[in-house]
Amino acid sequence: MTDQFDAIVVGTGAGGAPLLARLAAGGLHVLALEAGRAWNPAADFATDELEQDKLFWTDERISGGTNPLAFGANNSGIGVGGSTLHYTAYTPRPQPDDFGIRTEFGVGEDWPFGYAELEPYYDAAEAFMGVSGPTPYPWGPPRKHGYPLPPLPLNAAAQLMQRGAAEVGIRTSPAANAALSGRYFQPGVGWRAACTNRGFCQAGCSTGAKASMDVTYLPYAVAHGAEIRPECFVTEVTRDRAGRATGVVYAHTGADGRPAETRVSAPAVFLCAGSVETPRLLMLNNLGGDHVGRHLMAHPGLQIWGRFDTPTRPFKGIPGGLISEDTHRPADADFAGGYLLQSIGVMPVTYARQVARGRGLWGPSLRDHMRGYGYAAGIDLLGDCLPTDDNRIVLSDELDARGLPKPHVTFTASENEVRMSAHADRLMRQIWDAAGARDVWAFPRHAHVIGTARMGTDPDTSVVDPDGGVWGTPGLFVCDNSTFPSALPVNPALTIVAIALRTADRFLDRWKDR
Amino acid sequence: MAEPALQPPREAASASAWPTGWALPLIESPATTEPTRRALRARLNAPAGLPVGALPAFFSPDAYETFAAACARLVPADGLAGPVDVAPAIDARLACGHGDGWRYATLPPDGDAFQTGVSLLDRAAEAAYAERFCDLAPDAQDELLADAQHARGAFGPDASGGFDACRWFADWLAEAAGLFYGHPLAQQDIGYAGFADAPGWTRIGLGERDAHEPDPLTDALL
Repeated sequence: MTDQFDAIVVGTGAGGAPLLARLAAGGLHVLALEAGRAWNPAADFATDELEQDKLFWTDERISGGTNPLAFGANNSGIGVGGSTLHYTAYTPRPQPDDFGIRTEFGVGEDWPFGYAELEPYYDAAEAFMGVSGPTPYPWGPPRKHGYPLPPLPLNAAAQLMQRGAAEVGIRTSPAANAALSGRYFQPGVGWRAACTNRGFCQAGCSTGAKASMDVTYLPYAVAHGAEIRPECFVTEVTRDRAGRATGVVYAHTGADGRPAETRVSAPAVFLCAGSVETPRLLMLNNLGGDHVGRHLMAHPGLQIWGRFDTPTRPFKGIPGGLISEDTHRPADADFAGGYLLQSIGVMPVTYARQVARGRGLWGPSLRDHMRGYGYAAGIDLLGDCLPTDDNRIVLSDELDARGLPKPHVTFTASENEVRMSAHADRLMRQIWDAAGARDVWAFPRHAHVIGTARMGTDPDTSVVDPDGGVWGTPGLFVCDNSTFPSALPVNPALTIVAIALRTADRFLDRWKDR
Repeated sequence: MAEPALQPPREAASASAWPTGWALPLIESPATTEPTRRALRARLNAPAGLPVGALPAFFSPDAYETFAAACARLVPADGLAGPVDVAPAIDARLACGHGDGWRYATLPPDGDAFQTGVSLLDRAAEAAYAERFCDLAPDAQDELLADAQHARGAFGPDASGGFDACRWFADWLAEAAGLFYGHPLAQQDIGYAGFADAPGWTRIGLGERDAHEPDPLTDALL
């Protein structure tokens, strides 16, 4: 069986979905292939973390280096909507200087385009997804448009951070979040209901209030004629003799219930499978050159937890209600770049796992600590990360259940991240002390995997050009956070969406001129 | 398939400040949505321990006894309103080869790591007490588990043949803690009522409580 399309999109997360939507709206005949299932959140999503483990990509990744990265519940999703099914929907914008970190500090890498190029796409993404946030926003350049909805209410962790930060002299603000503070309408999508403060953003939103791709860009894409095939795992990018991409081969379950392979054709193939599966697919097909898998970055995400005297019930509300970007370029920094601070609520299973790993408590001491769960609140940083040659993904010798080599990920925080985390550690402890926290403890972690198929203007130092085109393979594109030249000290989803919309526009311009 | 409705468990003394006995009625009430109730009923209706006469799916029967005894030390169910045993779920997971999406590069695949770790527990028990781990007194079991956690004694790099006991133990503990606190009876113990998801939450600030939540300060039940 062969199907012919104008473009094929591999993956339906923050990269693939907006791209699919805009290509479909531009009149193209487009197909999206998604490894995971299509869910009906109202019927399928429980307010229960163990049940919702089904949203995580659980094919094994082997994690090495000095700071091995956690995957599964951290960093990777599966299902129509990708990782946005369990993202927290934090949507801060990067600031203009973040795109030129090498120019500013002489380290890291500059982007081939800057904030001004992405600004209209940030505006479009925020309006389409229905971002709730403060207007005006206290940091960064003035905005042409305010947030479409006012901020979501502050939960206990947010209120505590507000109190502690004020004492320490750090400005805070209600955060921008792509969950709806009021019901919201978009053509091609329909009405979405306001957030009920259920607090399970990281385990799947059952009400559609959170702007995951399955309730925003994907229905819009389908309304404009796009086709989405769930449970289809792409294994091969096909090419013609000239080396041009001609389509993909994917594995799925056939009509007879047996494993099957299907070939689909298109003059354009977009890999949007995330920063592990995208480089893995490139490497499996010997595409993209020597830089594929290199320059892996992960945001420093150290969490500081404390126990308070008053119940916090930390499962309520969006986890990260409050933000500060006062640490974007700290005056006393001994590192390049900067970070932001966010308050954090937490679900009980996640908290128990973190207490187990972070404090090593078990037996009666674990039980005692967990009886304080209802009084816990956290604060964390999200900081920039510098790319290095050694932090990378390669294919291991071990095969997974599909018979494909497992990815082997190496990550060691560089001196810059270590100093930044130490700076944030001190500040967050000051804030939590001022807020009245007791039994304060740190949970070291890194979040978001970024930069394994770097975008640049020089084929000798990058994998894709500034429009996402893979050097040396016409017709093949990457559109996800693999392409980020630098990590940017913000949660990546909004920027992935903005770049996806830009990638679609750049492609459509050329499509018209064909 | 519909899960049968829950029977309230016998109430047990609890060191918790939260009132006891409210979780199951809350799960069965209109305050909890059907998908959530379905998931929680399945967990509550699962047998505690392996079904009578059933063999473990992954471990040998002897190794399973040691493993289950050790799990009960990591996440003891003392004082809960009913039994919560995480060992069967981990045994079943290891048998089907399903993981949590990653493993440390310093460890072998999960199954091999657990076989090694559990056999080291028995070997250490044999060496120190000439008994199987599962037959030791709780204090002696805890000492050996602490050795595993800190890669000491039989779990040291030399004695264990280079086994990364620290990380294996951390993985195991995190999995056990997650399974334990995913159980409504353990959630009740910590005053967590987040599964009562139908109405949403309106009182989300510091010290605020919604009407359908248990009250930690009084014994007012629903």
